[in-house]
Amino acid sequence: MKKRKFTFLTFSFYAFLFLIAASWYFVIGVKNASFLELFSKENVAYASKFFKGLFGVGQEEIAFLNRDSWSHAFTLTIETLQMSIMAIGFSTIVMFLTVIPAARNVADGTLTLSRKWYRWVVFSLIRISYIFSRAIPELVWAMIIIFIFKPGILPGAIALALHNFGILGKLCAEVIEDTDYRPIRNLASAGAGRAQILMYGVLPTVLPQFLSYILYRWEVIMRTTIVVGFVGAGGLGQEFKLSMSFFHYTEITLLLICYLILVIIADFISEKSRFFVK
Amino acid sequence: MSNENILEINQISKNYERKIALSSLSFVVEKGELIALIGPSGAGKTTLLNLLATILQPDSGEIIVDGKPITQYADQKKRAKKIGIIRQQFDLVGQLAVIHNVLAGRLADWGFFKSLFSLFIPQEKQVAIKALERVGLPDKQYERTSNLSGGEQQRVALARLLMQKPEIILADEPVASLDPARADDILDMLTKIAKEEHQTVIASLHSVEYARKYFTRLIALKNGELFFDLPADQVTDEQLQKLYQLKELN
Amino acid sequence: MLSFDLHKRKVLTLFLLLLFAWSLFGVNWQEGVLHSSGIGTAAEIFAAMLTPDLSLDILRLAVESSWLTLAYATAGMSLALILALIIGVLASGVLASGKSSRTLMKGSFRGVLGFMRAIHELVWAWLFVASFGLSPYAAIFALAIPYGGILGRIFADMINDVPEEPILALKAAGASKLQCLFYGYLPSVKNSMISYTMYRYECAVRSSAIMSFVGLGGLGYQIQLSLDDLHYGEVWTFIYFLIILVILIDGWSNMLRKRMQL
Repeated sequence: MKKRKFTFLTFSFYAFLFLIAASWYFVIGVKNASFLELFSKENVAYASKFFKGLFGVGQEEIAFLNRDSWSHAFTLTIETLQMSIMAIGFSTIVMFLTVIPAARNVADGTLTLSRKWYRWVVFSLIRISYIFSRAIPELVWAMIIIFIFKPGILPGAIALALHNFGILGKLCAEVIEDTDYRPIRNLASAGAGRAQILMYGVLPTVLPQFLSYILYRWEVIMRTTIVVGFVGAGGLGQEFKLSMSFFHYTEITLLLICYLILVIIADFISEKSRFFVK
Repeated sequence: MSNENILEINQISKNYERKIALSSLSFVVEKGELIALIGPSGAGKTTLLNLLATILQPDSGEIIVDGKPITQYADQKKRAKKIGIIRQQFDLVGQLAVIHNVLAGRLADWGFFKSLFSLFIPQEKQVAIKALERVGLPDKQYERTSNLSGGEQQRVALARLLMQKPEIILADEPVASLDPARADDILDMLTKIAKEEHQTVIASLHSVEYARKYFTRLIALKNGELFFDLPADQVTDEQLQKLYQLKELN
Repeated sequence: MLSFDLHKRKVLTLFLLLLFAWSLFGVNWQEGVLHSSGIGTAAEIFAAMLTPDLSLDILRLAVESSWLTLAYATAGMSLALILALIIGVLASGVLASGKSSRTLMKGSFRGVLGFMRAIHELVWAWLFVASFGLSPYAAIFALAIPYGGILGRIFADMINDVPEEPILALKAAGASKLQCLFYGYLPSVKNSMISYTMYRYECAVRSSAIMSFVGLGGLGYQIQLSLDDLHYGEVWTFIYFLIILVILIDGWSNMLRKRMQL
């Protein structure tokens, strides 16, 4: 047995090295991307003009010193925050509705102590929807959703939720798959029905880890809100795109600052709540 | 069939892939007996208990509980009224408060909404507290179960059995992970409660001293077969030695 | 009185529910949220799910874009790994001598990693394109920086979680800090590192796909083009290719992780 594992691992290892080499060869050789060219005179000049613009050098109106722009940015920040909370809220709801049948040990009956053939069908359907959901990047979802909804934070939240429920669902299904079945079996021996086993045995054990994953995804969603904003889904991202189009560099800096603050707060909350959840 | 027989095992066999776990096992149990199941590891004690708990099905033979074949107790709730089980690894839900684990013994009678509601406001609290007092844990109701020591957790499991009130209590190595003082405590409590509630106990133990001390009848299994079935005071040391003797290498 | 422990979770849940309710107020529900032709378009788009465009041209384009996406992702991850190993080790503080220099080292490098992670790869991509133009390096660096930050932070955490005793034993045997690193810390975390990197690699492929939105070619770029032309069939072809790519890498990563769970 050991020999087989060894071979697969070494095969993978070499495959990766090959992949990495091929990628770099492609980039440098085929696409002729010259690293040094990045630092050519024109590029450096252009880049420095850009960065100077960001810091407000040589600009007439400096947005981040302007009171009105700050209050405008503040409104957008709150909107973005709401978008992220809505998105994680929707994801969580869908996750809770679908996660239990999506666990392998529910489908094959070991957790619920009952075997029904249709469980595998439901399991497969839900798992496929999870794969669809997480494989399609948020941006693609956003672009599709924008066709359907009016611009604002709702389409952004929906797009983010559509992408994240698959990720959250998979992570949480794995938590259910890893639960110790012995207390469950014991509850069944004490006479608990299926729903009661769920309430008394499964949920108390998995909820802490669920909460931890939910917070983790919320933090990621927070970072991605700016991206869905690009395609018109409101919040800081949409404003960002506008400023980009009008070359209002200092506005960009202002928005970036607000964005960074949001992300840092989300990170902080996510870290601290870990202790709460324990 | 005497009405006193709570349990009848007739010729049951159980095989796993390459191993014969139990072969043609038969015995009869009267109501109120305290039986200890002994024998070397792998003799089939846990398999037998799992068969009685309907977690496994026998390959052949039948089990009759209180006059009816065990298959009639397929409904979890009906079965729980007759048979309860307590195990070596307590198997309580660590995340719940002690009181919820105790009240879980009532789940057989509670409906969905009552069960759910009880998680927020514990129902039938007084009965549960009395049970906790009987096992010596009066002030641990709201502690998180996983914070309790091993001995205390096993007592919570006993309290749950008190709520469940099954007619037969199966115990699978209930004290194997406890130190001698706690083990004595638990076995004493278990047998005392069973006597007070007129319950039948079948416990598998790996310590013969405990078996002799607390139980009235010893059933010994070796290699899946009945080795002997005697009242506790009639078991000789010689029989015990033969029971636990390792197979001689040829 | 119920102990605080149990109360805690219920209070937290209630608070989160209220927070969610508040967020819903950010939407102007009165004016209607759907476009007038919204449902119709949605139906069209989803109907096309079953009829992806499988013409030879599109398929060839899909394969090319998939390779582009994969190559950028791989190149970016390889850089990210190097960055993560260096900065991550520094951020774990195991190379510092003395308590105060350790805290300083940990703090500052963790801050660097935090900054790298905080900004979404697309924002990095846009920044690079705006300053350096449409070079593949824009995509590669835009991937390498945030992923390097994520990997580095996790690596640092893993190193910090290694139990003390074996390391102390090595020190007692006379190992220097670097030696401790190579003989003590790294072997213990090697498997977890590989496992997590594989997990992130899959994410990187998806990120690389959307990276192409800034004009750098790849599946994302094609999807955007086809959407703009309203060729929904093509859009789904590209999406399917993306899904297949993700599944392949996910499957490979799972197999590796299973075999490493020794």
